[in-house]
Amino acid sequence: MSTNTLVLTGTRTNERLGAVLVAAFLGLGLVFMAGFAPAMALHNAAHDFRHSQNFPCH
Amino acid sequence: MIIRLVSAALVAGFLAAVVATGLQLALTSPLIIAAERFETQASAADPALLSPASLIVRVHGGHDHGTQNNGSRDPSVAGGEVAPVWEPGPGLPRMAFTALATLVGGVGYAFLLGAVLLACNREPDPETGLRFAVGGFLAVALAPALGLAPELPGMEAAPLADRQFWWVMTAAATAMGLYLIAIRRAPITIAGGIVLLVAPHLAGAPEASHAASNLPASYAAQFAARSLGIAFVFWAVIGLAYGWAWTLFGKPRTAHA
Repeated sequence: MSTNTLVLTGTRTNERLGAVLVAAFLGLGLVFMAGFAPAMALHNAAHDFRHSQNFPCH
Repeated sequence: MIIRLVSAALVAGFLAAVVATGLQLALTSPLIIAAERFETQASAADPALLSPASLIVRVHGGHDHGTQNNGSRDPSVAGGEVAPVWEPGPGLPRMAFTALATLVGGVGYAFLLGAVLLACNREPDPETGLRFAVGGFLAVALAPALGLAPELPGMEAAPLADRQFWWVMTAAATAMGLYLIAIRRAPITIAGGIVLLVAPHLAGAPEASHAASNLPASYAAQFAARSLGIAFVFWAVIGLAYGWAWTLFGKPRTAHA
């Protein structure tokens, strides 16, 4: 496993950049959906979670 | 690498959601429901609210525009819509949707944690995961809570867009500040990091009105403390589980390669 992370060839760095971008995009999208999406149905569904996790609500 | 990150994030998000959902249902949801009851009681004196349609709106959605409730009793105005908007039914459906939202949020946070770990070139093991997760807790839970205390339904608050903007700005600035301080570690970046940590609070969160509320203060205080406690556990489990799952999913890959 250590060889996996130690060998940082060009392709591996690119792969990592891609993974970072994909993960960041997915993560922001999901957090937006759970915490910020303004649609009332989404808001009502996530209501208790938003309050508990201190997302601004209402 | 993407597959491994996605798998680890799904596992971590799921485990964290299981723990956090249990805590939320046990600790914060009862307070939210109690607060909604106070809210409904407070407005029940108004005869305009006794029509069934307005009750449907009231029971859950009535606090959507808390600041306007005193002025406009018309449910079609107070709820923002004429027809009641969809919302999960009380009891089990509501708990299920809370669990679902927690799962979505947990997986989302786990993705962000994974992205940050990878971008910082750290090998995610449980220890590193926990360390970064504490940073995540500070950035999205504690720092925004300093300006915008966790609030129960029915508590008066500033306009939503202002608060969301301040929340996002504070979370981003705190995350950046922590990165400059804890990872860059040069004197100049530490100074910049401290500025970033402090700036949102100097700028100030949108001011909440201090109008009296029927809600007992003990509820609000208890809710704020529990909310932060749950957020910490949520993040801790995300970090530990992400590191664990990342290591786990790395093993078969090397075995085959």
